Amino acid sequence: MEGISGLSGDVILDTLGQIIPLVIGVIVGVVVLEFLLYNLLAKTFKLKNALAYTLLAPAAIAILAFMLYPLFFNVLLAFSDLKRDTFNCYSPIALGECELDHLYGLDYAVENFTDVFFRVRDGEIIGWGRLLRTADSTFPVLLGRTILWTVVNVIFHFSGGLALALIMNQKIRFKGIYRALIVIPWALPGVITALTWKQEFHAEYGFVNTLMQGIGLEPISWLRDPVAAFVAVVFVNIWLGIPFYMVMLLGGLQSISVEYYEAAQMDGAGALERFRFITMPLLRPILIPAVTLDVIWTFNKLDLIVIMTGGGPEEKTNILVSALYNAAFGTAATQQLGFAAAFSIVIFFILFLFAIVWITSSGGLKEIYDR
Amino acid sequence: MSTITQPKPTAVRRQQNGLTSQQIRAVIGAAIAVGGLVLMVANQMNVAFLLVGLLLGLLVWKPFHGVLVAYSIISVYPVLRIVSISLRPSTGLLSRSLDIIPAGASLQSYSNLFNEEPFLQWAWNSLSITVAVSVIGVAVAATGAYAFSRWRFFGRRPALIFLLTTQMIPAGMLVIPIYVIVAQLGLTNQIIGLVLAYISTAVPFSIWILKGYYDTIPPDLEEAAMVDGCNRMEAFWRIILPLSTPALSIVFLFNFLGAWSEFIVAKVILTAQSVMTWPLGLNQLIGTFQTDWGKYAAGSVLVTVPVLLLFMWQSKYLISGLTLGSVKS
Repeated sequence: MEGISGLSGDVILDTLGQIIPLVIGVIVGVVVLEFLLYNLLAKTFKLKNALAYTLLAPAAIAILAFMLYPLFFNVLLAFSDLKRDTFNCYSPIALGECELDHLYGLDYAVENFTDVFFRVRDGEIIGWGRLLRTADSTFPVLLGRTILWTVVNVIFHFSGGLALALIMNQKIRFKGIYRALIVIPWALPGVITALTWKQEFHAEYGFVNTLMQGIGLEPISWLRDPVAAFVAVVFVNIWLGIPFYMVMLLGGLQSISVEYYEAAQMDGAGALERFRFITMPLLRPILIPAVTLDVIWTFNKLDLIVIMTGGGPEEKTNILVSALYNAAFGTAATQQLGFAAAFSIVIFFILFLFAIVWITSSGGLKEIYDR
Repeated sequence: MSTITQPKPTAVRRQQNGLTSQQIRAVIGAAIAVGGLVLMVANQMNVAFLLVGLLLGLLVWKPFHGVLVAYSIISVYPVLRIVSISLRPSTGLLSRSLDIIPAGASLQSYSNLFNEEPFLQWAWNSLSITVAVSVIGVAVAATGAYAFSRWRFFGRRPALIFLLTTQMIPAGMLVIPIYVIVAQLGLTNQIIGLVLAYISTAVPFSIWILKGYYDTIPPDLEEAAMVDGCNRMEAFWRIILPLSTPALSIVFLFNFLGAWSEFIVAKVILTAQSVMTWPLGLNQLIGTFQTDWGKYAAGSVLVTVPVLLLFMWQSKYLISGLTLGSVKS
């Protein structure tokens, strides 16, 4: 029975048959678990914080099973030779012949991590390792491009968002309307943004080129040229990120009392001085977490690049995370999951190092966990 | 910056000489707008000249409004254009016109989408997954966050820092092990596999936001209830949870919005046509540009409208929810 748009009664029943038992099972499971655990901890062991541990248990189990276990498994994968050809070896259900004599080992880990950085022939390093196919996909090139990507994006997000927030903080009419319109890019589903802009950067039918020709510029085949493609992706991500800053900074600006400015003006401070010595310091508690989050989000921005350019042309718009995705699941590679796992650990450490240096030097997230 | 409205001495002096700077700017602005009109007439009624003239005029007359209008256009134009493309008649799909309301507007693309693509099935799959993730996320996180907010138990601080760190984990780093685990369990192409994958990121985030909200509810409330004979769980159930409805709905919404348009994990886990979610379906439509742009546009409008409405309706709470997680005042 084929309904309209492929949605037949069978399909609906099939989906509901999977979803409803799962949801009910989880909720009943949570209640039963908490009940049993509380009786055990409080009545049998007489623990002081029994209720706290009981309440934590469901979340702890979920995080353990769906977050910590995969992370641990990812490290284990870095010690494996998992790729498309050897997938059967690692499956709990034996599906076929397996040529590996051992599944996990230090030798695989050494090979995987070396491959991230170096190309080795006959035990000698002959150059930077290629993470994908071209010489443009080596570790230093990708790291450099990721840093460029992050810095450019964050600077534009910040300055654009701050400028808009400062204007919106003036006494001005139609504020609500402007705000609703400017926030729209943030509210759009990310997939729609990426797919739509991909079309709009189309050399012939996209509006970007039509507009450029309208003001007398030469059209550019945006997504065919490496530099233009990178500019296009950066542009879209800036467009996406500005509303977030505007909203956050506007909230911060509105919380600054007018009295500070009045007092400063009495003392003869000009607009620039007021901005520098009142606005910026008082915005700091909002600004630092916003920038921290933005750096992390931008560094990890995977879907936009994968959808808009797929990392191309010539693998020249990849940043670290999109190269990782392509190495694991892209068409260019043979699903080298063991190698990709090692690569992902390296990426995480880069971000982690940044976070430690940045957070300790700015004291940025102190307010969050000091409570 | 400041919004002090003191009479400006310079403005007063100019007024005595004739025109204020405000009036001068208004005149120049109007002149530029008229210039745009003239250029439009001179160039076969090309509306672009008039629009640019109006915008430049506004920039001169009222710079703040000019900047905001210009940026609003940048924000909204791509969205309006998708709506416009979805309304184009099939003969004009590849037209290069920039008009917002296309000539001969029709709903042809929408009916093509429903008749030629399993769009409703994509949307249904997405909806089931999304609702399941949102409900489970709230159910699992609600009590855990309460424990984080009210007790100072052993391991609390490291656990909170860990929750924060999970926000930093690159998607690619979780996709690899989750893909392998789901594949080993034989759950690829099962929507249940995707639900389990999404829960991994939904739960830590939900706990974080809910904890921030519980922190703002004074503990005196429960203590008063407990003096009146409630036990702690009754107090939580009868007082804290009802008070937290805004936060619970924020968490539900965040998880909803996150799962509704997730692409990367879905692409890796779901490959069969019958289980595709809408992001995968629309991505597939884009693959063949010439024929399917209208259908793609129609589909995007249909999946985006509910999200935009939700966002507008809840935007105050969504934004305060976000700041709740990151900033404490």
